[in-house]
Amino acid sequence: MIDRPTYLVARREFIENARTKTFWIGIISLPVIIAISIGISALLKEAKGEKTYLVLDRTEDQWVSQAIEETSIRGVVSVASELAAADPDSAETKEKQAELSRRVRERIASLAPDHPMRELIDRMQPLVEQSTEGGDGSLQALQAVRGLDDLPEETQSAFFEWMSSVSRDPEKQRQMKAFLADLSPTADKKFVRKSLADLGLENTPPEELTEALDQAVGRGDLFAYFLIPENALESKEGADYVSENVTDSDLRDWYESLVTDVLRNRRITDLNLTKAQAASLREGFDFTEISVTDSGERDEVDSSAKAASFAPIAFVYLLWIAIFTAANMLLTNTVEEKSNRLIEVLLSSVSPNQLMTGKVLGIGATGMTIILTWVATALLGVQFVGDGALAGIDLTAILADPLYLGSFVGYFLAGYLLYGAILVAMGSVCNSLKEAQNLMQPVMMLLLVPLIAMVFVVQEPNGTVAKILTYVPLYTPFLMMNRAGGPPPTWEYIVSTIVILVSLWFAFRAAAKVFRVGILMTGKPPKVREVLRWLRAPVGTVPVRPKTDS
Amino acid sequence: MTDALVLDRVTKRFGDFTAVDDLSLRIPSGSIYGFIGPNGAGKTTTIRMVMSIFYPDEGSIEVLGNDRSEAVKDRLGYLPEEKGLYKSMKVKEIVSYFGQLKGIGRRDADARAEDLLTRYGLGEWLDKKCQALSKGMGQKVQLLGTLIHDPELVILDEPFSGLDPVNMELMRETILDMKREGRTVIFSTHVMRQAEEICDRLMMIHKSKKVLDGTLAEIKSAEGKGIQIAYDGDARSVFEQLRNEQLVDRINDAGHECELFPAGDTDTQTILRRLVDAGVVIRKFDLSEISLHEIFVRKVGEDLIPEESSHAIAGGLSQGGTSA
Repeated sequence: MIDRPTYLVARREFIENARTKTFWIGIISLPVIIAISIGISALLKEAKGEKTYLVLDRTEDQWVSQAIEETSIRGVVSVASELAAADPDSAETKEKQAELSRRVRERIASLAPDHPMRELIDRMQPLVEQSTEGGDGSLQALQAVRGLDDLPEETQSAFFEWMSSVSRDPEKQRQMKAFLADLSPTADKKFVRKSLADLGLENTPPEELTEALDQAVGRGDLFAYFLIPENALESKEGADYVSENVTDSDLRDWYESLVTDVLRNRRITDLNLTKAQAASLREGFDFTEISVTDSGERDEVDSSAKAASFAPIAFVYLLWIAIFTAANMLLTNTVEEKSNRLIEVLLSSVSPNQLMTGKVLGIGATGMTIILTWVATALLGVQFVGDGALAGIDLTAILADPLYLGSFVGYFLAGYLLYGAILVAMGSVCNSLKEAQNLMQPVMMLLLVPLIAMVFVVQEPNGTVAKILTYVPLYTPFLMMNRAGGPPPTWEYIVSTIVILVSLWFAFRAAAKVFRVGILMTGKPPKVREVLRWLRAPVGTVPVRPKTDS
Repeated sequence: MTDALVLDRVTKRFGDFTAVDDLSLRIPSGSIYGFIGPNGAGKTTTIRMVMSIFYPDEGSIEVLGNDRSEAVKDRLGYLPEEKGLYKSMKVKEIVSYFGQLKGIGRRDADARAEDLLTRYGLGEWLDKKCQALSKGMGQKVQLLGTLIHDPELVILDEPFSGLDPVNMELMRETILDMKREGRTVIFSTHVMRQAEEICDRLMMIHKSKKVLDGTLAEIKSAEGKGIQIAYDGDARSVFEQLRNEQLVDRINDAGHECELFPAGDTDTQTILRRLVDAGVVIRKFDLSEISLHEIFVRKVGEDLIPEESSHAIAGGLSQGGTSA
């Protein structure tokens, strides 16, 4: 099928197209758009900044928020003790240590000058410097100390002195607890808890408090505040989340889960259960996703399966874009050759079939180059950026399944060739771009169908709509890619392949006939009836146009 | 001498319209052969059949000894009537591309294109885009594109149309060069002067049928003689009288040059005397073979189809109006 003249025509088309600005704009457009959107979302994240919140806990002794704080502190303590127990030389430990010290440093840097933690550091620093010889006297040095026993007596007594000063002052205690809670791995540094004192509201009478807080939120001093009602254990009533922006729910979701845990734990404790019973009660439930292949083999759903459900849509879009771009190039090109009177020269060297096939292939190669560049960019992007909407989707996993990928490539090429043949035949009967564009409109309408159907088909890959559309030859490639998540039974793969091969064969034969006549024709584009007559006429004869046309 | 092209009772119909009717032809190798005839007579259709762009409905065509011209495509060069180039391709590239399509390797084609273009004075344009070329240069480039693969048979459809005198001269030279190099050249024209100047043989087609075929000398000797004169002054009334007295059959008056065809036994001296007596200043008076133009007019005669409708057929299948 691809002989030398066909190759030469294809090569020329490819080179000519590759020289156009449109081609290069096409190549860089997607990566640029992706880069811009990643940049924007990063900027947005940055701009969001910290969210300050306050908890107005009306439970007895504020036990709910206390419990949350304690949980957080326990979290820090457990991390710290795990670290202390772990092999100090293992890479994992070192990494965790570095992470903890990073958090500590970050927190300390933002502490107020009169914070008790600063006091501790000021007191201990000179002593630690003495005791850890060669150390730089920083917090890392302090961290190297594995317990109070390691420290010289002088240091120990300084520490206890500080401890007792803190224990006498409830405000200092609160500050220290908050400091530790913030170090907890469950604490999100995006959220910063404020106290009433931070807002200067510590002396506000309780009945005016909500109003004052509302105003603080309104002024922007506070992103949001939570109101935990007195009988939180029994009723959700009065549990308010007050914010200027209630659509942004990360803070609420995060704190809600913390409160839920605390309340659930208390309820369990109140029942006086054994540890095992409590654990069993706390146990949640979730399903493991397992997909089954055609032959009934099981596959656990992992990132590759995620990619598998994502790939059909991506490929349908890609095919759509490929056809759309190629349509323009094919039409412009054929019309140029016609209006430039090049056709006859070309036909003296190549046959109409070679010319047509060469065009479809050459322009196809151009489109494919653009698309492959996009796919490669997307793969690299996922691999190296691995963030945002594409995170957790291992696109390379698709590459690992040759059959899956192969079917996509097959349907993609078949789809492109099918439309390429139709479009090149259409281009051949037009004399101007305007005519061509008019003729394109119905084709574009037809092409909208698979796009509209896409959503339904993804939801119900083996539903009636999907099945019916699969056997409309124009839509077969789209639908089979779209349904891959189903996946359709093997017989459908076989039948649809036959459908597509037969329609490809027919499309190319018909296109060759129309092309042969159309390419030499001038005057008005033919009516559909006329084209049908061309299709019936034997090759090489030239059907004459009815007189009424001129 | 072998024949480069043999047409045997070839007929081509477009619906009810017969574009070429029972045409038989032999074109010997190495000759320059002219296809003449009015617009729409069937010249382009014949050429397109030779190039296997159309297939004949009846009869057979043998090109370079092969009855399928597709098989010998690489040995043919074809310059269609309507000429064009890829605007955004470079001059050298497009000539080389035409060569490659004819089976020349890429490197060889590039070298040949460069050589040809330089030889024909387009050396400075090698790397310019085709859209920068003037019309004349564009036609030259296209002609070189049909010659790059050293074709044995070159077919030029209306090669002179749209050329200025300088380029017309160049085209003439190129055609003569091709003959010297041993190629067979077929060209079609409806300008008789060109055909007369360079053709070894010619064929005239009119209303789809062949009406003349042979060497120029054969054709002319079959048609008798005529008087060519060059003159000044007003000769209209004396021409009128000569015609009325049936001393001449026909007069082709061009204002200062004129061709007269004496009737049967008229003495040429009588005509000269009448003209001088009428006060016409005669600068040239020459009894010789009649011009191809006159032969053309005689053959086509009164039924010369009006311009518009003849154009309609020229494109072969372009406008539909001619079918009924």
